[in-house]
Amino acid sequence: MSGLIIVLVVVAVVVLFVISMYNSLIQLRNRVKNAWSQIDVQLKRRHDLIPNLLETVKGYMKHEREIMENITKYRSQAMDAGTVGEKAQAEGLLSGALGQLRVQVENYPDLKANQNFLALQEELTSTENKISFARQSYNDQVLFYNNKIQMFPSNIIAGMFKFLQEEFFQVEDAKEREVPKVSF
Amino acid sequence: MWELIQSNRRKSLVLFISMGVTLLLLGYFFGSAYYPDGGGFIGIFFAFVIWGILSLISYFSGSKILLAVSGAKEVTKEVHPQLFNIVEEMKISASLPAMPKVYIINEAAPNAFATGIKPENSAVAVTAGLLARLNRDELQGVVAHEVSHIVNRDVMFMTFSGIMLGSIVLISEVFLRSLWLGGGRYSSKSSKSSGQGQMIIMIVAIVFAILAPILAQLLYFAISRKREYLADASAVRYTRYPEGLASALEKISDSSIDLKTANKVTAPMYIVNPLKPKGQKLTNLSSTHPPISERVRILRSMSGGANYVDYQNAFNKIKRSKSPIIPSSGLADQTPIGLKEASITPVALGLNKQTKRDTGDIMMKVNNYSFINCSCGLKIKIPPDYKKTELFCPRCGTKHSLI
Amino acid sequence: MNCPVCKEPLVVLELEQVEVDYCTSCAGVWLDSGELELILETDEDRNRLVNLFKEATDVNEKSYDCPICGKQMRKYEIGEKGKAVVDKCRKNHGIWFDKGELQKIVEFGSVNKENKIINLLKNMFWKSMPLAENKISLNIDGGNK
Repeated sequence: MSGLIIVLVVVAVVVLFVISMYNSLIQLRNRVKNAWSQIDVQLKRRHDLIPNLLETVKGYMKHEREIMENITKYRSQAMDAGTVGEKAQAEGLLSGALGQLRVQVENYPDLKANQNFLALQEELTSTENKISFARQSYNDQVLFYNNKIQMFPSNIIAGMFKFLQEEFFQVEDAKEREVPKVSF
Repeated sequence: MWELIQSNRRKSLVLFISMGVTLLLLGYFFGSAYYPDGGGFIGIFFAFVIWGILSLISYFSGSKILLAVSGAKEVTKEVHPQLFNIVEEMKISASLPAMPKVYIINEAAPNAFATGIKPENSAVAVTAGLLARLNRDELQGVVAHEVSHIVNRDVMFMTFSGIMLGSIVLISEVFLRSLWLGGGRYSSKSSKSSGQGQMIIMIVAIVFAILAPILAQLLYFAISRKREYLADASAVRYTRYPEGLASALEKISDSSIDLKTANKVTAPMYIVNPLKPKGQKLTNLSSTHPPISERVRILRSMSGGANYVDYQNAFNKIKRSKSPIIPSSGLADQTPIGLKEASITPVALGLNKQTKRDTGDIMMKVNNYSFINCSCGLKIKIPPDYKKTELFCPRCGTKHSLI
Repeated sequence: MNCPVCKEPLVVLELEQVEVDYCTSCAGVWLDSGELELILETDEDRNRLVNLFKEATDVNEKSYDCPICGKQMRKYEIGEKGKAVVDKCRKNHGIWFDKGELQKIVEFGSVNKENKIINLLKNMFWKSMPLAENKISLNIDGGNK
């Protein structure tokens, strides 16, 4: 009789433990999703700004066709990307191409004086800052969540309910970004 | 992060309680000076009530009062897109739960402050002079510093201890004045009761009435100073670019224009002490802010990264001391945060004329002026109370319709 | 800020980073003292301007109030007697030019080409003042299309 009670108590404790562990994993995963949506909003904003920017710049920049084509290409790549890793890579290339454009702007004083362009440039700069600040908090959340999945005993519950590791949003080093690798 | 706030809170709490004890002692002595039998407790009661009422007022409408006193106006994104963007960036970087309101103060002196006892309901105010003088990176540094005052709950503490200081000054003033007016009544009373003991209490009360406001001020300033370094450290963490804040601080301190709307109690709220003591040497005890040159040197010697540890190391190097500025929980977080490079949008400023013009334009936008750029090069700025529906450019005669 | 003559709100005109306040009803112009300091950067320039001003005595023109402080302004003559009369704030908040005064001063200023204020005003209002020499002065100034 008393043996049965002990077994029941142990089972109850284990069930409660599993439930609380499960809930905390759900909570962490939601935080990761929430942090991702913060980045996603800004990435979308950047995609929306680019056509306007190219339209404004086109009239002034005659010799930068290649950069502009790259921007268009990477933008659509980024919009089509499925996984976080693919997205991060395409966005990284896009940032690089936009950076090149920004360097070239210095050669066009008329463009630099254009109010419309300056307003767009401010929006773009700010959006990129927001992306990079939001990335930091996303990666913090991912680190926390992934650690929980790998560590004992939460790893057992994570395995049981198929909690998968999330990808970090990584952009290559700033220097690498400036010169996109060309493969022959 | 929460632990950081907690530990910050504990240290300030000690200073805060010291101010509270000063306030209650003040009440006790004044009460006893008037009514030796049990008057002390009535005095304590009254001191407490005065402080309570002022605190309630400041809790519910403190920010509104502060913003109104400084002449700040709330602005929309259209008025200054860049300022708005920067505040939003810092909101993301500092993980604030809500976007702070953005205010511009119509002053040529460059300065800024933050209000908001709760981070959910906060505001950042900058002067028009600041906007006209700083480039993007510098403005970001200043906004980051202000946002960290909100995150670290400095605004809350400075508001409540400011109110406490105000109460102490008020009570001392009332007591000293009532002595001049009611001196006769008092002397007849003291001759009736035990003269000598009462006399001693009276003297103690007077001395205390003179010393308490000074003591409270020193405590208030001590609370304020400690928080400035931490806010600088947090600002670097949020922006990852110490040079931005450093050169902003330099520009602000280089300005020779005085802020007209600041006073002793509101001074610690600003990023740089607006009440500059001209040629004053005793800056250590009576200053609300650490010396700017020191803050700048600490920021400039940060080289490794943007973490709290990096700031503490730089602080130790410059001050040649090991006094902890950053609570240990902040230092424990060693995840490296790399420094950022300057953004490639240099804004050529510094021209006196251009600066004055920009400041003026910002203020006109705040006050709802509309702008017309005539094709002949003339810029026409129309006040909101202008009634006509069209006007002719006086330079080239072009007709502009206003709707 | 309202026009001291017709009390209507003044609009602000900016050219070459200098601002003046302008009344669209009476075409009068208010020159703020802060703007004067911006145009005349050196003390020498400022003295030259002060020397142009002589307190007017027997002028029977109506006196106006300063749009900033509301105090009555004082009449000053510029150049020779009877040439042009302007109103200047006693507390030095600025100077008010009626339309006619402005025109006279611009004419007068053509004698003294270095004067930056007059050049600016001339450039700002050349169309609204149908003077023959305005067209010429525009060519001399050059670059300001």
